[in-house]
Amino acid sequence: MPVTRVEVTPRQGEGMRDVRGDVVRRQLKADHNISVAKVRSICGYLISGETPSEAIAERVDDLFADPIIELGAANTTMLTTPSFGDGPETVITVGFKPGVTDNPGKAATDGFLTLFPADGDAKIATYTTYVFYDLPADCDANWLAGTLHNGLIERALVADRAACADQSWPELTFPTPPEQVFIEPQSIDLECDDATLEEISTTGLLALNLNEMHAIQAHYRDETVRQQRTEMGISPNAPTDVELECLAQTWSEHCKHKIFASRIHHVDHETGEDTVVDSLFKTHIMKPTHDMQKDVDWLLSVFHDNSGVIAWDDKWSVCMKAETHNSPSALDPYGGAMTGIVGVNRDILGTGLGARPIANTDVFCFGPPDWEGQLPDNLFHPSRVLRGVHAGVRVGGNESGIPTVNGAIVFDDRYIGKPLVYCGTVGIMPRQLPDGRPSHVKTPVAGDIVYMVGGRVGYDGIHGATFSSLELTEESPSSAVQIGDPITQKKMLDMVLEARDAGLITCITDNGAGGLSSSIGEMAEYTNGCEIDLAKVPLKQAGLSPWEILVSESQERMTIAVKPEDQAIFEALADLHEVEATAVATFTSTGMFHVRYADATVAYLPIEFLHEGVPQLQLESEWRSPELPSFVPPSEADHSELLQGMLQRPNIASKETWVRQYDHEVIAQTAIKPFVGVERDGPGDAGVIAPIHGDPHGLVISCGIAPRYSDIDAGAMAAASIDEAVRNAVCVGLDVDKMAGLDNFCWPDPIESTKTPDGRFKLAQLVRANRELERVCRAYRLPCVSGKDSMKNDYGTGPDKISIPPTLLFSLFGDHPDVRKTATSDFKFAGDKIYLVGESKQELGASELAFMMTENGQAGGVGGHVPLLPHPEQNLATYRALSQTIRAGLVRTAHDCSEGGVAVALAEMCIGGRTGATVDIDGTGSGDVWGRLWGESLGRIIVAVSPENEETFLSAMKGHPTTVLGTVSASSSLTITDGDDQLVELDVETMAGLWKGTLDLTGGVI
Amino acid sequence: MTPRVAVLFGFGINCDHETKAVFELVGATADRLHVNRLISGDERLEDYDILAVPGGFSFGDHLGSGRLLGNRMRFAMRDALQSFVDAGKPIIGICNGFQVLVKTGLLPGPEAGHSPDFIQRGSLTLNDSGRYEDRWVTLEFDPESPCIWTKGMTRMECPVRHGEGKYVMPSADDIDRLDANHQLTVRYVDPSTPPGAGRTDEALPYPLSPNGSMRNIAGICDATGLVFGLMPHPEAIYARWLHPLHTRHDSEASSGALDGWEGEGLQLFRNAVEYVKQRS
Repeated sequence: MPVTRVEVTPRQGEGMRDVRGDVVRRQLKADHNISVAKVRSICGYLISGETPSEAIAERVDDLFADPIIELGAANTTMLTTPSFGDGPETVITVGFKPGVTDNPGKAATDGFLTLFPADGDAKIATYTTYVFYDLPADCDANWLAGTLHNGLIERALVADRAACADQSWPELTFPTPPEQVFIEPQSIDLECDDATLEEISTTGLLALNLNEMHAIQAHYRDETVRQQRTEMGISPNAPTDVELECLAQTWSEHCKHKIFASRIHHVDHETGEDTVVDSLFKTHIMKPTHDMQKDVDWLLSVFHDNSGVIAWDDKWSVCMKAETHNSPSALDPYGGAMTGIVGVNRDILGTGLGARPIANTDVFCFGPPDWEGQLPDNLFHPSRVLRGVHAGVRVGGNESGIPTVNGAIVFDDRYIGKPLVYCGTVGIMPRQLPDGRPSHVKTPVAGDIVYMVGGRVGYDGIHGATFSSLELTEESPSSAVQIGDPITQKKMLDMVLEARDAGLITCITDNGAGGLSSSIGEMAEYTNGCEIDLAKVPLKQAGLSPWEILVSESQERMTIAVKPEDQAIFEALADLHEVEATAVATFTSTGMFHVRYADATVAYLPIEFLHEGVPQLQLESEWRSPELPSFVPPSEADHSELLQGMLQRPNIASKETWVRQYDHEVIAQTAIKPFVGVERDGPGDAGVIAPIHGDPHGLVISCGIAPRYSDIDAGAMAAASIDEAVRNAVCVGLDVDKMAGLDNFCWPDPIESTKTPDGRFKLAQLVRANRELERVCRAYRLPCVSGKDSMKNDYGTGPDKISIPPTLLFSLFGDHPDVRKTATSDFKFAGDKIYLVGESKQELGASELAFMMTENGQAGGVGGHVPLLPHPEQNLATYRALSQTIRAGLVRTAHDCSEGGVAVALAEMCIGGRTGATVDIDGTGSGDVWGRLWGESLGRIIVAVSPENEETFLSAMKGHPTTVLGTVSASSSLTITDGDDQLVELDVETMAGLWKGTLDLTGGVI
Repeated sequence: MTPRVAVLFGFGINCDHETKAVFELVGATADRLHVNRLISGDERLEDYDILAVPGGFSFGDHLGSGRLLGNRMRFAMRDALQSFVDAGKPIIGICNGFQVLVKTGLLPGPEAGHSPDFIQRGSLTLNDSGRYEDRWVTLEFDPESPCIWTKGMTRMECPVRHGEGKYVMPSADDIDRLDANHQLTVRYVDPSTPPGAGRTDEALPYPLSPNGSMRNIAGICDATGLVFGLMPHPEAIYARWLHPLHTRHDSEASSGALDGWEGEGLQLFRNAVEYVKQRS
């Protein structure tokens, strides 16, 4: 089809700016200290369709260009127009590679059809051109292009100085995907030696180990199986490629959590323990929750659905899920993170009969943004990962209309190898649907029709699940990267929730990892069978082979089952919302996962073998405490100077630039926002929402993460993460008797092998983390209702291998009876009394101070006593008492004390209130001055109470460690003493400037 | 009578739930209506008394915020919208809804006495900062504005949540004409000025003006004062527990709904509902 080019550029003149160009200019300054006088931008559209160019040219201002602010032209390269005539020095044009999701192109196509409804097959691709003026002489055009595009998904054309002088402008052509070759299903002979079996797994990117290949081999040797297969007309004694791919997806670490389900031989060289753990998940996560389920009536659905569901009140239930999207975010930070957030939204939509996502949480772990060391091949600089991941989550969350209410950003060198991108979503649903069915129970029966709803299936996203179960290498496939399409998903979400309320849905799940193979395969367990016709699945491009259609993880799709009699009304609803819904399967009770391509059977697997056939891993675990040089603070120090340094540490510094770009209050429910205080820039401890309009009944959302404690003991890391999540929630007045948690483990590969010689140690870290998780959750009466693990967070092999520190993100959601009675971290009024709840011990091991002083050469190491939680049941009692004082309105100021200890917490409280405080840390615990000022002992919260409430507060806290710290002052300085010793004296504006400066990274506004 | 409000949704509009809720809190009945239900004729705009185009990201803001939804409305709902305005029924566009109304040409609209002509006269473009931001701003209303939505309101705090909120017009004369008619209904102001004295033509620095809007314009109305649009979100402060500083103040009862916890933004919706009631 002919292609018409339309280009659009912002008008220049009074009050008009080229902001897209400005953003590039500022980022070059902020990230690379490169000064460019001016950058201009052009948006390009390539329209492939039957409409004549002349007809399009007449409508440029109706669609492509906004005539008030932009100039647009068809069939003209803007660069040749007078507007650009004054000699650009470099021009770079960036567009998507063929087959990559082009959201602006999709929207433009939709808009084009509004104007030219007859041109139904028209397609539009977009590109952006950046035009540079007064570029420094030593700035290489190709390097510059590298900063502006990701070669994995985008293409760039460059006109350097010479080309610009010749007026030889780059022109991208319409990206036509290469023709896909349809490959008929083939059978794969598994009657071969072990080496060949392993080779089949490796070359096919199947990520199946030899044991698993043997189990598959054995299945096809079974005479009954062979006979059944002969009857179905499918290769009797060997799997088809469709079956092998389907098994690889279903049995992937990503989908089956084989390490958490493994049988572990655990040896502890310190205690002499030699024992076997049969499934960490069942032992330490599932069992405790099921035990707690017997004691409360609000745990509605745990573990088996897409998210865990709790009853919130008589009318509503709430659910929450968190996921990680680490490998995709390493390859394409923007697309990887965006698919992460919109993907976990679909987990909520796929819970029960469909829940509505109402809040997001985002927690990221990155390398230091100011990293100046070497970068391994194929890895992006941490600042670029930060920008890309942030942009992806921002666009995904904001465009979906879901507020981001809580999160964290953590930095450590080792996350250069693999960033961690945790995305969580909270959902809400009426406990009962209008037709009387409880919303948290799926009700499919054999005969129900299964629809694929939302986006189409494409070549993108093939092998995501198996790929994420492999370590990152230079050959990682580009098809594992996708870009989300939040608007297609939003349309689907609107439609699905209407269908739910109309009683049309009997079963629903998300299409994520493993695609249709997983979604229909898992739902088929309810009725014990399904029959799928892959030829009915709508495709983005023709020519996909059956196995590709089955396992493709193309985004924005739900799988929904509908009764046959409801099909017409369901399809009409989809039409109204302009959502594609195609019947692709039927539930059966045959016991078989039966896949056809038109009339030919291409897969015929017993449901039981598919889901239960994977052999249990047998793993070895061995614990010896790591030996680290101890952190020994110097005898003399300037604590004011240390505090200034600590406030600038990326782990402590304000993340406002980034977090403020998330919509945190759409839906008009966010009662405690990420920023608090008079200038609205103090840190919020937890998010509080009141999701039912007009009703102050609230829900608290918080998180805890402390990966560096793993350097000393991953068990302590886990305990600290849970305690931090609870403390954060207590600070806003959580009802501790109704809270639930999510455990998201991100680990380096813990399976011993030549690639991972220290696998036993890493597995022992996992065992210890799980044991602490169980111990603390049982003591806190805190059931884990959902979780996820990501177990291959390594980069490279051999001496250059980078493994992340074992990291547990613990997310919490819980009840708040009345959001009008809550607290924030900012000091409020001069004269308010400051108290420390909890005790400061000598716990400086792996503390932020230890890391800072070690990096600065002021100390020799970070080892020592890591914060521990010896008596969690006492902590719970204290938290209960404190949160009651908040809900009684006695306490309006509370802040969690974690990284940087009491000193940093107080500084943040002063910044939030833009006020000073006078504090004496004498008598606040058994630690020395370093331990009491900087230590990160768990169980501590700093509160401020007005003088008139002080007595009531103290009597409510009787029996709980509560020590007076000082007074909020009318001055502007924070003064900390230890008895007669002056430790810190700092001005609040100085502290605010330092704290807000490090991660600003905007390059200014003008 | 109980006024009926049509709250549009679909294609990425996402503030439809709370927009429906605030109208119901002030005594209207409100329906979330998919744009296509109006286009297809399943539902008729004329059956409603008020039209609200809520915030969101219709079509992902691609090709300019509000453009594609604006086009659908401009081409497929032209007659219905024209009759609605001619019948003297109030319309509000908030955030993305404001962008939609500007790009359909309903705002600022033609001179007084003329029926809507769907000619775009102004625009909303990328914030000078280049960033989408969620931040609270202070607004002040022109007391002489014909806008029926803002009667009696002086100053309000509420959040902006946008990346394309800079209001521009081709020339200063264009804005002067609107100003003369008091159609520059609401502006960003410096909160340290005395209430009522904050409005200024001088460009306020970021972030007092979050986007670099010409003359600090946050919202405008048409010549009749019935069609009104603004970038900030008044519905986001329907209750005082949504104010960032609510933990600083005692929960003393104030007037209004929600047991004394009514937020400043609710009055704007009440004004329109009362207007409709009084007219009928």
